[in-house]
Amino acid sequence: MVSGILVWQSIIYLIKQGIVTKPRRRIVMRIDVDALTCIGCMACEMACGYHRDDAFALLSSCIVVYRTREKKDYFGVVVKEEESLKIARPEGLEIKRIGVTEESSDSGQKKEADASAKPMLLREPCDLCSGMKYGPMCVKICPVNAISLVE
Amino acid sequence: MDLEASQISEDELDDELVGQKIGGVGITSSLYGAYKDRDPIILGAGLLTGTLFPASALGVISAKSPRTGGLTHSPFTLKAGMELKYTGFDYVVIVGKSKKPVFLWLHDGVADIQEASEFWGADVWNTTDAIRKSMGDDLIQTLVIGPAGERGSDLAQICVNYWASGDCWGFGKVFGEKNLKAVALRGMGLLEISDPEGFVDQCFEVLETIKGGAFAGKSGVEDILTAMGEKDAKEWIAPFVHRHSACYNTPYPTNTFVYLNENPKTLAEPTEQEPGFLINDVGALLTLKRAGLSAESACRVLKACAKYGIDPCAVAELSARSGQKDPDKIEQSFVDLKGTVSVPEGGKFSSWAPMQPLFADFGLSDESAYGDWWVRRQALAYLFGIHPIFANMAPELSEELMIEMFNKGTGLDLSQETLDQAIADVCL
Repeated sequence: MVSGILVWQSIIYLIKQGIVTKPRRRIVMRIDVDALTCIGCMACEMACGYHRDDAFALLSSCIVVYRTREKKDYFGVVVKEEESLKIARPEGLEIKRIGVTEESSDSGQKKEADASAKPMLLREPCDLCSGMKYGPMCVKICPVNAISLVE
Repeated sequence: MDLEASQISEDELDDELVGQKIGGVGITSSLYGAYKDRDPIILGAGLLTGTLFPASALGVISAKSPRTGGLTHSPFTLKAGMELKYTGFDYVVIVGKSKKPVFLWLHDGVADIQEASEFWGADVWNTTDAIRKSMGDDLIQTLVIGPAGERGSDLAQICVNYWASGDCWGFGKVFGEKNLKAVALRGMGLLEISDPEGFVDQCFEVLETIKGGAFAGKSGVEDILTAMGEKDAKEWIAPFVHRHSACYNTPYPTNTFVYLNENPKTLAEPTEQEPGFLINDVGALLTLKRAGLSAESACRVLKACAKYGIDPCAVAELSARSGQKDPDKIEQSFVDLKGTVSVPEGGKFSSWAPMQPLFADFGLSDESAYGDWWVRRQALAYLFGIHPIFANMAPELSEELMIEMFNKGTGLDLSQETLDQAIADVCL
């Protein structure tokens, strides 16, 4: 215990003397989607595709409006991140770790991935539009401000 | 696509034609002239359709209307206009009559004529479901007819996926006469433009301007109806409203989804497979409301129209005239519904886009100026591929801006004189 306090006091002393720098908190920025505000226009998807392909296309977008339940009007947004798929559903956010197979809580059976999720797994993860002068293009293009860049 | 000979041929789009006719309805009209003797129906995308330019959602169908006998144009939006562009085909000319029911499958630069006998007789919803299932892709967009088109009704409509479209010209009958059940669209193509950075910069700039425009904070068909003077529209339909959604890259959500068999406040995915209906036809809803139907009855009529593939505006007008308010009886009348219904005066464009400015006044002093303004505004939207309802609420999308976007997008040099001529040509 005493030795632990001594270690911390030594570190504080070294920081005050400028011999070592104060450890910084790592700030991670990410895309946040408000699925209830989203109007499903796909502008984010096309903007992301432009960032990837330097042309208009949807095939490489890492942000996608999922819209396969058209008759139910059930839609939201999926973002592929480095290690996870972030699924912004109307009822709330779901985060799926890539490569982790989940089991259905009620039946114990393995959940079958939505067909539309499969192409997403093959795409590059979100890089916050690295190298683009606009910053994350999906944030900038969203007409209803449903997408934001958060810490 | 020659349905009679079951043959397909492709042509490159000529820069000279684009320079003169711009795109969309300018080119579909030109193609109509070239194939006129073969009774063509032509699909086309606007010049800006499928880009990052705000509201670039529009696809166009051009053909001779069974109702008027002349060349007319219908808009199709949702995601179908954009999807057509990315199939790799900007324009599709369909001629001849197939010997048996077929559907066209346009995808990734490939055009196929496929057998559709198993879908013939099915309603619009079941046909779209069947096509998506057979292709294993729920994102396929369909331009599809139901029993009304198969039976040759002048009121038949080409629907988009499960929903109404802007077809107020009876084009569903033209599909039916060709034994053409549907056109299925899916594209993973790539759209290159001349000056991408300048184009995208301008798109962002325009979006920032219009986001603070007159429609800010408004959404759905009910706010459009309110802007048209129907002050109690929002209250009337509110108990059924689930969510609002937008057509491709359109800043205003012009579509209102109502739940009829589910609690509209439900956020999780409903268990009911067909809980409601997407309302995208302002005029039909307004006519049914003014005829004294309850909001629920009006929504049920619109849903029945979309399944049967019949123009909801025509149904609403004829029902209002007969005084019928029972949705079941209105639906039962579809089979032999006939009658003269109003068409937009002096234009070839669909009255699906209200014939007045919405939210903004566009500097028009009084209603007497609406007619000429509306025709020119719609011509502009149909040339460039702009959502025709949104075109009526965003004065920021000016003709000067369109010319600038044309030049950045194509690398060609469009002048105001050429634009004036292109508009005059499609309004003749």
